[in-house]
Amino acid sequence: MARSVVDPLTRIEGHLRVEVEVNNGVVTDAWVSGGLYRGMEKILLDRRPSDAFYVVQRICGVCPISHGHASTASTEDALGITIPNNARIVRNLIEAAQYIHSHILWFYTLAALDYVDPVKALSADIADTYALAQAAGTGVSDFGAVAKRLQAFVDNGQLSIFTNGWFGHPAYAEDMPAELHLIGVAHYLEALEMQAVAAEIIAIMGGKFPHFMTSLPGGTTFMPTEQKLDDILFRFVKLNEWVTNTMIPDTLAIAPFYAGALGYGGGHGNFLSWGVFNDESFEANNRYMPAGVIKVAQGLTVADADASVLTEDVQRSWYDSATGLHPSAGEADANFSEYNVDDQYSWVKAPRYDGAPMEAGPLSRMLVAYLRGVQPVQDLVNGALEALGAAGRPEVLVSLLGRVAARNLETKVVSDWSLEWVNELIGAVAGGDSKFFEPHDVDEGMGAGLWEAPRGALGHFIDIQGGKIARYQVITPSTWDCSSRDDGGVRGPMEEALVGTPIIEVERPLEAARIARSFDP
Amino acid sequence: MSHPAHYREAHPLIFVFTHWINLISMVALAFSGFYIHYPFFANFMGVARGMHFFFMYVILINLFVRIVAAFFVKSATRLGTREVETDIKNWLPQKLNRHQLGAWLKYYLFLKKDHPIGAKYGVLQKIAYIVTIPLTLAAAYTGFAIYAPFMDAAFFAAGTDWVGGQMNMRIIHYYIMWVFILFTAVHAYLANVEGVAPSRLIFAWKEEEGLRFDADGKVIGGSGH
Amino acid sequence: MAHEDHGAIYDLLAARGVSRRDFLKYCGSIAALLGLSESFVPQIAAAVNHGAKLKPAVWLNGGACTGCTESIAQVDTPDVATIVLDLLSIDFMETLSMAMGEDALAAAEAVFEEPGYILIYEGSVMQGFDGNALRIGGKTGLEELDHAAPNAAAIVAVGSCAVDGGFVMANPNPADATGVKPYLESKGITTPVVNLPTCPVNPEWLVAIVVDVLLLGSLESGAILDKLDDWGRPKYIFGQTIHDNCPRRGHFENGNFVNEFGTEEEALGYCLYKVGCKGPQTYTNCPIVRWNRRTSWCVESGAPCIGCGNLNWVDVGAPFLNRHRDLPLPSVGNTQPGVVAGVVAGAAALGLGLHAVGMKVTGRMDGGAPYEEMKAHDKKRMQKGGGK
Repeated sequence: MARSVVDPLTRIEGHLRVEVEVNNGVVTDAWVSGGLYRGMEKILLDRRPSDAFYVVQRICGVCPISHGHASTASTEDALGITIPNNARIVRNLIEAAQYIHSHILWFYTLAALDYVDPVKALSADIADTYALAQAAGTGVSDFGAVAKRLQAFVDNGQLSIFTNGWFGHPAYAEDMPAELHLIGVAHYLEALEMQAVAAEIIAIMGGKFPHFMTSLPGGTTFMPTEQKLDDILFRFVKLNEWVTNTMIPDTLAIAPFYAGALGYGGGHGNFLSWGVFNDESFEANNRYMPAGVIKVAQGLTVADADASVLTEDVQRSWYDSATGLHPSAGEADANFSEYNVDDQYSWVKAPRYDGAPMEAGPLSRMLVAYLRGVQPVQDLVNGALEALGAAGRPEVLVSLLGRVAARNLETKVVSDWSLEWVNELIGAVAGGDSKFFEPHDVDEGMGAGLWEAPRGALGHFIDIQGGKIARYQVITPSTWDCSSRDDGGVRGPMEEALVGTPIIEVERPLEAARIARSFDP
Repeated sequence: MSHPAHYREAHPLIFVFTHWINLISMVALAFSGFYIHYPFFANFMGVARGMHFFFMYVILINLFVRIVAAFFVKSATRLGTREVETDIKNWLPQKLNRHQLGAWLKYYLFLKKDHPIGAKYGVLQKIAYIVTIPLTLAAAYTGFAIYAPFMDAAFFAAGTDWVGGQMNMRIIHYYIMWVFILFTAVHAYLANVEGVAPSRLIFAWKEEEGLRFDADGKVIGGSGH
Repeated sequence: MAHEDHGAIYDLLAARGVSRRDFLKYCGSIAALLGLSESFVPQIAAAVNHGAKLKPAVWLNGGACTGCTESIAQVDTPDVATIVLDLLSIDFMETLSMAMGEDALAAAEAVFEEPGYILIYEGSVMQGFDGNALRIGGKTGLEELDHAAPNAAAIVAVGSCAVDGGFVMANPNPADATGVKPYLESKGITTPVVNLPTCPVNPEWLVAIVVDVLLLGSLESGAILDKLDDWGRPKYIFGQTIHDNCPRRGHFENGNFVNEFGTEEEALGYCLYKVGCKGPQTYTNCPIVRWNRRTSWCVESGAPCIGCGNLNWVDVGAPFLNRHRDLPLPSVGNTQPGVVAGVVAGAAALGLGLHAVGMKVTGRMDGGAPYEEMKAHDKKRMQKGGGK
C-alpha cells in the first residue's frame, strides 16, 4: 500500500492536487484538492447584473465565453427577457469557436504529452512517417523539419517546458511506432496555430479572447458587417478542415494503442448536461447539445435535467457556511483549517444532483445527445465505436478513453454546426433582420443560467433586487468533476474515476494524471 | 423694514464686470461640463469641449484680475455707506463681524428676531465667498488632471495617483461643480430674499436708498422703504 | 558591445526552421513595437545574436484564471513567438510543463538556485487565510513567491491580477489579494518588477518586454527601469489613453454617440462613450496593437472599454455600462455619484424653500428684520462688566 501524490497537476487550468492510494499496482482510493479560493461570488454582491458578465469570465481564462453566456442567461431568466434570433446565433458562434479552441488546446497542448513521447519521436523514419500519416488519413506536415527542430532542441540541453518530463515512462504505449509520436509532435505545433485561429473568431465577434466583451443581458453588442461575416466564415471553414482531416484521424490513430483505457477511469457513471447551443425554441431539451441526466442506477437512459434538486455540500471543504444548500440560497463563507484527507481537504465544494455526484463534460453531453437521438452525434459515435472494435456498445465510452474520444468527436460535431450557423446568420442579415438587442427595464427577479462550458455543466444563479445583485452563485464544471467528498463521504467524480486505475510506477503515477486531465479540469 | 442703502461704492464697476464674467463662465462651464459628462443631445461634443476649455481660462483669468484688483481698487467695507477703503479689507476679518457668527446662525434659523449687525459681508457670507477661490482652483486642478494635454504632467499625475486614478479624479471634479451649483443657489437666495436691491446693484449698477450705518454698525440715517 | 559568436543564434534559428530573412523581419516588427526606427534593426539583431544560451525563466501562476497563459498562446507570428519563448527556457510553467508534481517543482527549484533568471508571475498574490487561499505543492502561494522572487533578475507581472490583485482585490477582497509589486515592497524584496496590466495581458506586450529585457540587455544596463512609469508600467505601452488613439475618436468629437446597443448608431460604429466606455481614462495602446494577432479589439466589436488595465479596475470601472463608477456608501451600498448629488441638491432646494416660507411668515421677505441695536455679544459683556 502506498500513497502517491501529484501536486501540482500541471497542464490544466488552475491548481489541483491529486492524491491516490495504490494497492498492488491499482488505485484503491483518491482525493482531489482544489488549491485556490478567490471569492468571486462575494465580489459581485451589490453590483449590477450587467457587470457580472465581465467579472465572472475571470473565473476561467480557458472558458470565459461560457461563463459570460451563463451569466447573461441567468439575468435574462430572472428578468424574463428573450434575446433576438440574431443574438442567439451570434452567441452560438462565439461559443462554438471557444469549443473548437478549447478542445484543440486540450488534446494537443495539454493532454497529448500523456500519450505522445517527444523523445521517442526522435527515432522516427521520415519516409515511414509520411507513409503512416497517409495510411491514417491524417494531415501531412514537413515532418523532416519538425524532426530536425526537435533534435536541435534536445541537443541544446535546455528543455524549457519539457524539463523533467517523464520521457520513456513505461505507461507510454510500447508498441506505438516512433513515426506516430513524430506525427503527434508535428500536430502539437500545428494545433498552436489552429487554436489561435479559433480565438480570432472570438476576437472578431467579441473584441478579444480570453475574456470577450459583447454579450450582455438582452443580446449582443456585436453587429456584423459583410466583411466580418466573411472573416468568420473563412476561419470556421479552415478549422473544420483541420478538425476533420487531422484531429479526428489523429484520435483514431492513437486510440487503438491505448485501448486498455476503455477498461477503467469511468467513475460513478452519472452524467449531467444542461445543454448548449440554442435553437429557435430556446428549450434546453431542444438545444443542439440537449440537456439531460443519466443516472447509473437507470443504466444508459436519459431523463430531463432539473435544477431544483441541486445541493452543495461543504463539510469536507474549507467553508464555514451551512451545508447542503441549493445554489439559489447558497453561501460561501470560506475558512481554511488544514489539509487533511480525513476531514477538510479542498477549496472545491461538493455539488450533488438529487444527492448524487455527477460527471460533467463532453462525455456527458455526447452520451445525452446520443441517447436523445441527435443524428450527427449518433453517426460519429457509432463510427468511432466501430473503429475501436466496440460497435453497438456505447457503454464502453464510460471510461478514460471514452472521455478523451467524446471530446474530440464533439469538436467535429460543433465544427460542422458552426458552418451551418454562419450561413444561418448570413441568411438572417441578408433577409433584413437587424435586431441584435432587446432593451428591458425590469430590475427584480431570480434566475438561473444553465449552460455548458467545453469542460461541462455550468450553472449561474442570480438574485436581482432593485437592479443590483443580492446573491450570486456559480457551479462550474470543475466543481462537479473535482468535487470533494460530500457530507456522506461519497467521492467526487474524478476521485471515483481514479479508483481502479492501474499504476506502474507509484513515484510517477502518469496513469492517474491521465485520468485527472481527461476531465479537462 | 430695514433695508440698508445700496450704493455703488459697495461694488465698483470693475467688480460688476468680474461678477458678470463669473456668472456667465460658471453657467457655461456647468452646462458644458454636464454635456461632456453625459452628452444629452447629439452633435455638440466638439463645441461643448471648446466652451469648457475657453470658459475655464476665462474664469481663471477673471479670478486673477479680481484678486489683483482687491489690492488697488477701493470699495465700501460696510453696509449703507459711501466711505471706501482698499477692497482687500473685505477679505480680512473685520471688527464689525467680531463675535457675530452665532448671531447670524441664530438669525437664519429664526432663533433671533433682529438682523445682526455686520460689515458689508457678514461672517458666513465672507467665508463662503473666500472659499470659492480655493474651490475654483480645485476645479481647475482636477480639470487639468483629467485633460489629456496636461494629465501626464507630474504635478497633476501625482494627484491622480493619490486619489486612486482618473475615475476618482473625474468624480471629484464633478462634485466640485455641484458645490458651485449649491453655492450659487444659496448665494442667489440669500442675496435676494430680503429684497432685490443687491441684484440691481451688482448686475445693473443701480443704487437704492436705505439705512445708512456708522463704523460701529449704528443706524445714522436713511430709512428702509 | 562586441558580440563575438555572431553565427550562433542564426544556427539555432535555422535549426528551428527560421530563415535569416524571417529573423530580420521579426527584428523589424520588434523595433516598431518598441517605438524605434528601422535603423535600429541591425542593433537588435546584434543584441539577439550574442549567444545561444537560453535565458532561464520560470512562470508562476498565483491566483490566476490562466487567461494570461491563454493569451500568450495568441501571438501574431507563432513560429517566431515560439522562438522567443524558446529563447527563454521556461523550465516551469504550470499550464504547459510536461513534468508534473514534485518533478515539475524540482525543475523550478533548479532555476531558483542560480540568480539571474526571469520570473513571470500571472494572477493575484493571495494573502487570505495566511496564504492558504492558494496552495501549490503542499505550500502556500506566498511561500512560493517569497522563495522565487529574491534571486530573479527581474519579475514581469503579467495581467492586472499580478499588478495589483486585479478583479480579485475588488471590494470586499474576500481572499485578501494584492499584486506582486506591492507584496514584495511590503516584504522588503527589491527585485525590479515590470508591470503589464490589462485582463488578460496582451501577449504582444510580453514579447516586447522579453526582447527589451533579455535581448537588448536593458535590465543589466538599467534602461528598462527608465522606461517604466511610477506604477512600473512601460511608458511606451501605457503612456497614452485608449481615447487618444481610438478610431472612433472622430465620432466623439462630432458628438455622434451610441445611446443604446443594437441601434443604427451602433451599426454605424459611433462612439461608445455614453454607454460607459472607459477609454478616456485607460492607459493602454489597445487601439494600435489590438488583440488576437491584431484581428480586432473591444471597441471594434461594438463593446465599450471596461478599463481592465486600470488599477483596481473593477471598483473604479463598475458599473461598466455607466459613465461613473459607483460609490460604496456605508449602509446604503453602491450608489452612483449623480444620485448622491441629486439627493443633496434636492435637500438643499427643500431647505431653501422651507427657509423662504419662514422668511415670509416672519415678515422678513421685504427688507428683512430690523437691525439689532448692539451686538448681542457686546450687550452681554457690558451687562457683565457693569455697564462699562
